Amino acid sequence: MKTRLSRIALLSSCLLLSSQLLAEPKRPECIAPAKPGGGFDLTCKLAQSGLKDAGLLKAPMRVTYMPGGVGAVAYNAVVAQRAAEAGTITAFSSGSLLNLAQGKFGRYDETAVRWLAAVGTDYGAISVRADAPYQSLDDLIAAVKKDPGSVVFGAGATIGGQDWMQTALIARAAGVDPQKLRYVAFEGGGETLTAMLGGHVQVTSSGLGEVTPQLDAGKIRILAVLSDERLPGKLNGIPTAKEQGYDISWPVIRGFYMGPEVSDEDFNWWKSQFDSLLADEDFAKLREQRDLFPLSMTGDELKAFVEKQVQDYKALAGEFGLVK
Amino acid sequence: MYVRVFAAVWLLACAGLALLAWGFEAPFAYDPVGPRAYPLLLLFLMACGAAWLLFKPHGEPTPAFDRAKAQRAVLCVLALLAYALLFEILGFVISTALAGFALGLLFNGRLWPSVISGALLGVLLYGLFDYLLDVPLPLGLLRLLES
Amino acid sequence: METLNFLMQGFDVATRPTNLLVALFGAFVGTVVGLLPGLGPINGVALLLPLAFALGLPPETALILLAAVYLGCEYGGRISAILLNVPGDAAAVMTTLDGYPLARQGKAGIALSLSAVSSFVGSIIATCGVVLFAPLLAKWAVAFGPAEYFVLMIFAIACLGGMVGDKPVKTLMAALMGLALATVGVDSTTGVYRFTFGSVSLSDGIQFVIVVIGFFSVSEILLMLEKTHSGQKAVKASGRLLFNFKEFCLTFWTMVRSAVAGFVIGTLPGAGATIASAMTYMSEKRMAGDKGRFGDGDLRGLAAPEAANNASACGSLIPMLTLGVPGSGTTAVMIGALTLYNITPGPLLFEQQPDVVWGLIASLFIGNVILLIMNIPLVGLFSRMLSVPNWVLVPTITVISMVGVYSVHSTVFDLVLMVGLGVFGYLLRKLDFPLSALILGFVLGEMMEDNLRRALSISNGELGILYGSPITLALWALTVAMLAMPGLRWYLKRRRGNAVEAQA
Repeated sequence: MKTRLSRIALLSSCLLLSSQLLAEPKRPECIAPAKPGGGFDLTCKLAQSGLKDAGLLKAPMRVTYMPGGVGAVAYNAVVAQRAAEAGTITAFSSGSLLNLAQGKFGRYDETAVRWLAAVGTDYGAISVRADAPYQSLDDLIAAVKKDPGSVVFGAGATIGGQDWMQTALIARAAGVDPQKLRYVAFEGGGETLTAMLGGHVQVTSSGLGEVTPQLDAGKIRILAVLSDERLPGKLNGIPTAKEQGYDISWPVIRGFYMGPEVSDEDFNWWKSQFDSLLADEDFAKLREQRDLFPLSMTGDELKAFVEKQVQDYKALAGEFGLVK
Repeated sequence: MYVRVFAAVWLLACAGLALLAWGFEAPFAYDPVGPRAYPLLLLFLMACGAAWLLFKPHGEPTPAFDRAKAQRAVLCVLALLAYALLFEILGFVISTALAGFALGLLFNGRLWPSVISGALLGVLLYGLFDYLLDVPLPLGLLRLLES
Repeated sequence: METLNFLMQGFDVATRPTNLLVALFGAFVGTVVGLLPGLGPINGVALLLPLAFALGLPPETALILLAAVYLGCEYGGRISAILLNVPGDAAAVMTTLDGYPLARQGKAGIALSLSAVSSFVGSIIATCGVVLFAPLLAKWAVAFGPAEYFVLMIFAIACLGGMVGDKPVKTLMAALMGLALATVGVDSTTGVYRFTFGSVSLSDGIQFVIVVIGFFSVSEILLMLEKTHSGQKAVKASGRLLFNFKEFCLTFWTMVRSAVAGFVIGTLPGAGATIASAMTYMSEKRMAGDKGRFGDGDLRGLAAPEAANNASACGSLIPMLTLGVPGSGTTAVMIGALTLYNITPGPLLFEQQPDVVWGLIASLFIGNVILLIMNIPLVGLFSRMLSVPNWVLVPTITVISMVGVYSVHSTVFDLVLMVGLGVFGYLLRKLDFPLSALILGFVLGEMMEDNLRRALSISNGELGILYGSPITLALWALTVAMLAMPGLRWYLKRRRGNAVEAQA
């Protein structure tokens, strides 16, 4: 009985394996729409090593860099020139969706590609210097309410970018017009943090992953993480905005999409690989190492999520006066 | 003479770009400068410079227009453009072999050595970059051979 | 004393056989990559990063490899600058000014060996600086805010005044074109797209690699076309391969001064090698006065930028290691490499990963010795590069330029843009506009506008912030001094001239 069962298991796993082998697309490639070393690069590397370690992808997956417009260049290239490439997946983040919602992706909208999988998420964070007078989000919002010009916000984003949106949400919570804030746009979180440590700006709005190293060094205080619940692990001590009474949450999801003309067969192959990858425990560890939190969505579920997200972003952009 | 022509063209270009730059308006900005002032300032300064060159070009002699030279330059630019445009369609190996051949000829190479150097460049550099350095290059037409 | 212990520990790490081998390999690959026109340290480090990761090297070994490549590129970049007049990256632009004329005078061998020694002196002095100041400078660098950066840019542009030479309007126009090119793409403050002509490919602006390869490699190809036609011979290295003692003495203090200046500038996050080499070149030119033959093959004009750009390459490791802030594009890639290993550069790095930090610093010393040993005897080999016939050389340059652009962007649009810029650069060169001013304008332009607007957003529009801190005031003072100098010298010269006339 036992042997028969194991034989069946063996047989079926062989079948599964061979079917995978048959369907695996040639020359798998991950497009990172950024320069090497950026967030998109890490997303690609995560899939690259995850898929390889779990044995879900036999051929080595290459990483191609295509920087420009938080993914706009890659989006257009995939839709227009590489629509049918079965081996190519492209990384995206909430930042890409935000720009997409504001019409900065050229003539294509969110229905132009096939959304494959979301593999993890980071969260927005609001931080100040360790010696700043603000002890909690309440203090900060009270100060902004009293005099919007008294606090200088810094972030690595232009007006309308993710980190700016977080600041705008803070302003909204304080009942202040986001346009009345004092806001300085830097290039990326690193520059912003340095400016804050040097005392040139008072508050940094960024992704959590960008500020945790400085937290360990005891140089900054994170007033709030913009997640729905407290985070697991060593970051458990950081309060969320929600528990402080402000309904602000800003997840930064990371995932992949594929070209619009990829066949259902190939798309489903990738989807099932990602489904097994996301259920894998080793992958969870890999993801944690890269400062990402669990989030798993594939196929239609992700598509629905992306479409809703884009609608939400559009509404926000309209509310904050970004689109006329 | 050439400098004057260039200055005139540049003056027109500045005017055109200034019209374009006039449209750079942000919904709102936190700094008093805004996205429009700096490009307009630069265009204004460049227009001044171009006007200066138009009316007071440095007294350099105008070399005679060399038709043969210009012809070769145009051919070279065309070859480079064709290479750029065919880079993805034909793939790295084939487009490089063709471009290497064409440029080799343009630079006074003999027929067969140019053919060989072009082909070698295509194959060897593809191997170097794609396999050794892990820089993915387009396969283009060769992709058809694969499947 | 504690520092010395750490350094010994670092040498312990760096002299392990694998690490030595990796440093040797990195130095060689780096030199070759830097030598190729259009490919600079960013390409070299970025190209080898996936390789290091794929080979599963431990973090300190990977970092040693990348640092060796970085240094190697700085050494190699000078070779194409001297022999072909094609700077590998912006920092090498200044090297072409005197290096190429020297090569044309048949002193290519001297130029190559002397610049190798300059690079060595620059790197070693700066590495000592890293050892001494890395912990101290962290505090100082943080004091630079947007206002300070803006004034620093003004200062840098004032330093460029020395480049004006005999065609001020054209130099100015070229610099303005560079500044204007930098405005293409998303405005980093308001997010408005400028001069993108509706194309998303321009949304992030024109990348530096494309500008430099287009303006230098492609236009160079077109210029070479004319030379073949008129039957001119390319520059050939002849005569001595090694500089003599007198030449070394002439340039020694230039090297030391430039190395120190380059190191200080390199430690400023964002400033980097370009400004360092430009500034030291200008100040050496000023110091030499009329006796110098700068721009016409002065050895000091070669030694200064080479020492400075290597020194600043090492100096930029300070903000990277102590603050986690890249001082240059290359260190940004290296920070990316560290993050792959789940090591976050920052104030804690020195305490938590002494092996990595001090191993890296020790390997800088070792890497430099390797590079010097490699470069002096190989000078002959490198000089012979020019005897490769054009019909082989040109297609090779073309292909590698294309790959260089394609590997960063993977779009055909950028290839076409590169050719377009190349044609434009060719026209500018024919019309005698100095392209080095254009490139420097391009690099400085974006930083200048961004930092001005950041400063004004911080101050809510008040201009006072631009001269409100001791650092800004000091920089303004230096700027005024820099601007006043040519006027002063002109005045002195005229007085002297008058005196001579009166005597006669």
